[in-house]
Amino acid sequence: MDKGFQILEQIIQTTTLRHKLLASNIANVDTPGYKAKDLPFNTVLKDQVMGLSRTDANHLAGSPVQAGVGDVKDEERAPWEDGNNVSLDTELSRMTENALLYEAGTTLLSKKIQMYKNALKR
Amino acid sequence: MDSFAIFKVSASALEAQKGRMNTIASNMANINSTQTESGGPYRRKDVVFSTTSIDSKDPVPLQGVKVESVTESQEPLKKVYDPGHPDANKEGFVSLPNINIMEEMVNMMMASRAYEANVTTFNMSKNMFLKALELGRV
Repeated sequence: MDKGFQILEQIIQTTTLRHKLLASNIANVDTPGYKAKDLPFNTVLKDQVMGLSRTDANHLAGSPVQAGVGDVKDEERAPWEDGNNVSLDTELSRMTENALLYEAGTTLLSKKIQMYKNALKR
Repeated sequence: MDSFAIFKVSASALEAQKGRMNTIASNMANINSTQTESGGPYRRKDVVFSTTSIDSKDPVPLQGVKVESVTESQEPLKKVYDPGHPDANKEGFVSLPNINIMEEMVNMMMASRAYEANVTTFNMSKNMFLKALELGRV
């Protein structure tokens, strides 16, 4: 099987994880002392895609990098007076962006499955 | 790991914001109440939120929110000169609740915005789950 499935799975998993974090941030928009959390998604994804280019047998195989709980970081935005640093608009726009990426991932995965189905027909 | 825990996060926030809205509503309603069950004029109430762990087994730090306590404002009461009022003191001053209607309106708008944001989150999560169910369907 080609690596596409693996990457799409990673995208779906990572966006799901990030969605959870953003939902927690939005829920705690008025909780004193709460620090917003996020997943540095771009670096995680880049490592994954870079792992694919292997032009020589001596190159190290790119190991799949999975964004996990360890990659979750506290936001470094300056807090309000109650110690909370959630910005509702930022979180909502990130969530929309993240949901779009998730949708792109699932759509591509569906298409891929469809392609294999078509190939198997005859 | 509970896949549906995300809905509990949004639901906890909706509940908490609704609780905040309730205190705002009673503040607004009692803006001129000079008598309460505990004696003395009504004092402004406010909620304090705190995080609550939704699913402790989930490795992702899923944090909902709950109303930790309802506090009573200790700010000084408003004094109005009204000798005819039954609760007026010897000098003719009445103590009215320490509620500022502008402050309540602003709080109400913030609660309403936060509520909306959590409804949006809830719907977005729902759509993501539905999308996953469509996987592989031609």
